Amino acid sequence: MRQLVLKNLSKTYPNNVKALDDVSIEIKSGMFGLLGPNGAGKSSLMRTIATLQEADSGSIFFDDLNVLDNTKEFRQNLGYLPQEFGVYPRITAEQLLDHIATLKGISIKNERKELVEYLLQKVNLYDKKNKNVKGFSGGMKQRIGIAQSLIGDPKVLIVDEPTAGLDPGERNRFYDLLSDVGEDVIVILSTHIVDDVRELCTQMAIMNFGQIVFSGAPDDGINSLKGRVFEKQISKSELDSYKESHQVISNKLIAGKPVIHVLNDKIPDKSFKKIEPSLEDVFFTNIQKNNQ
Amino acid sequence: MFKNFFLSELRYSFRQPMLYLFFLIVFLLVFAANVTDNVSIGGAIGNVFRNAPNIITIYSLIMTIFGLLFATAFFNNSALRDHKNNFQEILFSKPIDKFGYFMGKFLASLFLSTVPLTGVFFGIILGSKVAPLMGWIEADRFGPFFIETFINNYFIFILPNMFIGGAIIYSLAQEYKNTMISFVGAMLIIVGYSIAGELVSDIDNEKIASLVDTFGIRTYSITSKYYTPLEKNTLNPSLSGLILYNRLLWVGFAAIILFASYTRFSFTTKKSKKSKKNKSDLNKVILSVPKKAPKVQVFKNSALLHFKSFFKLNMNSIYKHVTFKILFVFSIIQLIAGLATGFEYFGLKSYPLTYFMVDQVNGSSSLFILIILVFFSGELVWRDRDVQVNEVIDSTPHSTLIPLFSKTLSLFSLSVVIHLVLILIAIIYQLISGFTQIEFSLYVKDYIYNMFPIYFTMCAALVAIQVIVNNKYIGYMVSVIVLLGFDIILLILDVNSNMLSLGSTPYMIYSDLNGFGPSNTGVFWFSLYWILFSLLLLSLSGLIWNRGVKKSFKERLNSINSNTSKTYSIIVSSIGVLFILTASFVYYNTQILNSYKSSDRYEELAVSYEKYYKKYKNLPFPKIIEAKYNIDIFPKKKMADVLAYLTLTNNKEKPIDSILLNVNKQWDLSFEFPNATIISKNEDHGVHFYRIDPPMLPGDTLILEIKNKYETKGFSNGGETTSIVKNGSFLNNFEILPNIGYDSSKEIGDKNKRKKLGLPPKERMPKLEVDCGVNCDKNYLTQGFSDYINVESIISTSIEQTAIAPGSLIRKWEENNRAYFEYRLDHPSQNFYSFISAEYEIAKREWNDVDIEIYYDAKHSVNIDMMLDAVERSLNYYTENFGPYYHKQARVIEFPRFSTFAQAFPGTMPYSESFGFIIDLEDEEDNNVIDAVIAHEMAHQWWAHQLVGANMQGGTLMSEAFSEYSSLMTLKDIAKTPMKMREFLKYDHDRYLRGRSGELEKELPLYKVENQQYIHYGKGSVILYALQDYIGEDKVNSAMKEFLEKYRYKTPYPTSLNFLEILEPKIPDSLNYLIDDWFKEITLYDNRLKTAFAKKLDNGKYEVSIEIEAFKIKADSVGNEKKVSLNEWIDIGVFSDSDEENLIHQQRVNINDSLMRFTMIVDSLPAKAAIDPRHILIDRVFSDNTKPVSFN
Repeated sequence: MRQLVLKNLSKTYPNNVKALDDVSIEIKSGMFGLLGPNGAGKSSLMRTIATLQEADSGSIFFDDLNVLDNTKEFRQNLGYLPQEFGVYPRITAEQLLDHIATLKGISIKNERKELVEYLLQKVNLYDKKNKNVKGFSGGMKQRIGIAQSLIGDPKVLIVDEPTAGLDPGERNRFYDLLSDVGEDVIVILSTHIVDDVRELCTQMAIMNFGQIVFSGAPDDGINSLKGRVFEKQISKSELDSYKESHQVISNKLIAGKPVIHVLNDKIPDKSFKKIEPSLEDVFFTNIQKNNQ
Repeated sequence: MFKNFFLSELRYSFRQPMLYLFFLIVFLLVFAANVTDNVSIGGAIGNVFRNAPNIITIYSLIMTIFGLLFATAFFNNSALRDHKNNFQEILFSKPIDKFGYFMGKFLASLFLSTVPLTGVFFGIILGSKVAPLMGWIEADRFGPFFIETFINNYFIFILPNMFIGGAIIYSLAQEYKNTMISFVGAMLIIVGYSIAGELVSDIDNEKIASLVDTFGIRTYSITSKYYTPLEKNTLNPSLSGLILYNRLLWVGFAAIILFASYTRFSFTTKKSKKSKKNKSDLNKVILSVPKKAPKVQVFKNSALLHFKSFFKLNMNSIYKHVTFKILFVFSIIQLIAGLATGFEYFGLKSYPLTYFMVDQVNGSSSLFILIILVFFSGELVWRDRDVQVNEVIDSTPHSTLIPLFSKTLSLFSLSVVIHLVLILIAIIYQLISGFTQIEFSLYVKDYIYNMFPIYFTMCAALVAIQVIVNNKYIGYMVSVIVLLGFDIILLILDVNSNMLSLGSTPYMIYSDLNGFGPSNTGVFWFSLYWILFSLLLLSLSGLIWNRGVKKSFKERLNSINSNTSKTYSIIVSSIGVLFILTASFVYYNTQILNSYKSSDRYEELAVSYEKYYKKYKNLPFPKIIEAKYNIDIFPKKKMADVLAYLTLTNNKEKPIDSILLNVNKQWDLSFEFPNATIISKNEDHGVHFYRIDPPMLPGDTLILEIKNKYETKGFSNGGETTSIVKNGSFLNNFEILPNIGYDSSKEIGDKNKRKKLGLPPKERMPKLEVDCGVNCDKNYLTQGFSDYINVESIISTSIEQTAIAPGSLIRKWEENNRAYFEYRLDHPSQNFYSFISAEYEIAKREWNDVDIEIYYDAKHSVNIDMMLDAVERSLNYYTENFGPYYHKQARVIEFPRFSTFAQAFPGTMPYSESFGFIIDLEDEEDNNVIDAVIAHEMAHQWWAHQLVGANMQGGTLMSEAFSEYSSLMTLKDIAKTPMKMREFLKYDHDRYLRGRSGELEKELPLYKVENQQYIHYGKGSVILYALQDYIGEDKVNSAMKEFLEKYRYKTPYPTSLNFLEILEPKIPDSLNYLIDDWFKEITLYDNRLKTAFAKKLDNGKYEVSIEIEAFKIKADSVGNEKKVSLNEWIDIGVFSDSDEENLIHQQRVNINDSLMRFTMIVDSLPAKAAIDPRHILIDRVFSDNTKPVSFN
């Protein structure tokens, strides 16, 4: 069992935005989901772990390795797929992967070739290996992205919003690939899609305004809300008054009418219906707490 | 609809930085050129206003070449933007009209690309206001602005040029949707310009060059080439003549292309197969189950492999880059155009020697390579971030410095590859020309010496700039400022050191005689200095390389520690130490050991010299009556030891009690003058003042002993002397001895500068006077320090070299492993002689009692026989027509190509390597530069050495004009037809007319010429040639002979009036007006043939009737002209061929009216008629003097 321990990480941007605000968290082998609205600091956190950005204060330990002081060693164990993964123009898929494999220390040419071919097969792009990557579709590019992140058997794999812009089929295939990685690997997956986490992750955290507002297993989060979430369909005009009188954690339209979720220790009134809390409710509850 | 597209295109571009950046570039360039003399666009400004219409037009024209880049950017983007953004499918599904879309975008781009070029106008207007305010330039150097200048330039040149370029680029872009092809289109225009440029290197091709030049640049310069200062200040370009034809031709051509493109343009787009395929793939389900991951070994230290992988990737992407390919092709075309044309003089070309090829290669590659380096420095440094692959790459475990160094090396490799390919082309050219003495090693050596250091320095520095600045576009700006702007700043600060201007080294030139040199030591150290500097900068920039997300400068400074390993610190510090050591060494050599003065300091000194010492202008000095020299030249050490004994006599009426010497600081002087004691020494001015006590009484004679020593110490900023070199030293007596008396040549000459510094106008040459008195005791060469004297020289050099001084070789011996030569003049001569030493082959021929000798480099034997012939021919003609030759030898001596000239010393004529020794004369029958130059220098043995003009106006008439005339007469002797002479003379006509156009002070009539080359060479030869045509060769020659007999080797010296006295009685009364018109005034003719008809007569002959228009024009010194009444004798004639080679009829007719008719009867079929068919008279437009004959 490996673990990544983040302690008191803080980072303030020159424009005074607090990207990371005293973030402390322990991440163990397996899939770790990082949820948060846009701008919550997820990418900052990922980049900090991926040694691409320095924190103002705090520390990161990978088992016994002080990551911030030993970037090179940590990078040997790292696989990283950034949120926006671009590729060089005028080079082929094979050339790109070969280059990255070289950088990751796979110095023997034949081994590298074998590995690149294996990965291309794995992401089903073997027949495109001599095509310019620049011309690939979004899904294909993302597959190249995951292929490159898997080079060199990383012990820590960081994927930042990997499914943004993918269609549902591509998304599923992508997660299939991700779930194939070894058990002993720490996979950190940031997303704003709650279901992704529910389906894949054994641990999770929710971020807002640079802070960790929740961390634990998804089930723990759900259990903590058990029996306290109620649902009601209302008309649009009533929404504001409900927001004032109740703790509305979410509202969404179902067949054109707002359906609100309310957090309360007991049923507010008969018109509400008690429901099984979902991870989404956990998400919104924690976000709201933090917003106030 | 049209309006929408037009406006949206404008809106888009006005929000982009490109437009403003382009504008700024043009503005700054023109502004700088306008406010300082140190930046110049298209040549020096000279005597005209700095904002003269002529200057503004030249600036506008040259900027339109840059404008081509702007046009490519705007037109290509405009045509391809919708396509690139895949927006066209949305757009074209809308009901838009084709005309609006196509032309809206076109015209918007046309307008946009002319906007930056208006920077010319703003730059010059602002410059003319700011420069006087800041005291950079005197206010009276600016004249009035004419609104037409701006309007005409915009509508005749800027707009049409952008239209021509734009139409080609836009059409190609619409057709091919490929930036590369658009660029190739733009290139066509550059090629047109280039070829026109090569064509104008010979005046025969001017008309065709005017039409070929796509942008009309040469067209304008040819149209305006004879403009007087007045015309330059007032005439605006107009749409007429050649300019009109050029504009019609090219605008028409562009319009046709645009129209064709418009008719082909359609909104339906071709769908590429590729994208379809990609789409189908999207829905493919992963079926193959990959086998288990292969086992791989992971290595922790594989830096070299990382480096290679980065390098490969960079190179791969650059070679496929369109910009690279285009610039590459550009430089190839530039080279080929340069090789294919490129005439040097008289429409001749040199053999394709390797050093010429090297010059061509460096010339055609350096600009493009520089652009490539600037462009790709940004491209490479920013590539990862631009394509957003940086986070992936940066999170891999490679050392931070590897990408930095691999990018730098990739960049450098580009320059190498381009250079190699160009060299290959040059070699192919040599082989095609049938030239097989290819010096491969010279190509390599030159690259290592000259190009490698500069390219390497540029690459490292440009990459470092991008890394440090950490913003691509600001990085580009900084790069451009460092490359161009920094020099301007240095100029303004008046700091002039190669140590401050990136990549600068002293100037070095290769010659067959001397090899690389003489500045090679300096070049080596400066190169090392720059390489270390850029390496240091680069490795320091590596410390703050931005890895990962974009970081502020502070953050990057904080991460220095994590980027450095111990080894790296050691390497950086050792580079630093080496750099400091080299810099100190260079500083010591160039600033302390060989200190020099800034240009401001020079000016200051010149001003104070004039102030303090002008009062000694009339200080009497003794005259040299005999000289003995002992000169030891040490070629390897670049040293010379001079021991001179000058016999002086006081020929003045007063005792001489003091003497002023101007000492060259480079020389170490000691001076033994009986009874002289030094009373003051001014090191700044190099002035030594001696008191002579007891004074030298009138008639006293004594011997002055001067020891002077030149030692090359280390190296200097500006390069070493070219006078004493390892092979081909060339000194004259003025260089090796101190100057006596106040030296007015040290004064500031430029009249505008003098005014600015509060100095009175410079004294001009003494006025021409009949009773010249004491002025006629001096000639203009020796200025009264000596007359005709005897000279003996003993000159020694290293054992393998031959040393030559004027006179007969008396003795030759070897001593201490050195070669000694003793020469003695056979006849007293001008105190003007050369001392030369090099390894020579010697070709000899006997002519009567004279030894003809050519001293030449073993590689340059090809034209030697021709040279011997030319010397012999000159001796024949001149002895027959002018009088005896007084030396026993006539030597032509080759010297290295540090300069291009030939010069006549008594019996001895140094002749530059590049001025005939290597010229290809195999297929030439007519224009033979060797015949012309040697005949000219030989003529000086009479005209300058036997007889020389007094030191006053008109002095050079009797040396330079007479020599040029004599040379023409020897050519006339061998010319097979009278029309051949027209070929020679046209260069003299051109020289005169261009020269007066560029006159800085004032034009004077021929008999008052003040050492103005265009007058004494150009006009002098034309006038004297015309004179012999009008009164007869024998008459002119006999006048010259009489004149020579009267004044040969005698004092006082004659003036031009003395010559005219002898000439006048020989001119028939009917032609007496020629003396005034041609010698005493400035007269031009404006003759043309209006009509020419012919009919066949019954007797089988033809009658040719012509109508001619003729004007005689008198001009004043600044070019104001007025027409005067006519009563002239002018030739009319008939050619039987349209090439004007066969003149079948010629008669001289009296013309006393501006419009006259004549008829001529000729025996055979006439093709053309002409007034002044042999181009005897000075006529600014000669081409309208002939016309094809029409039959009625």
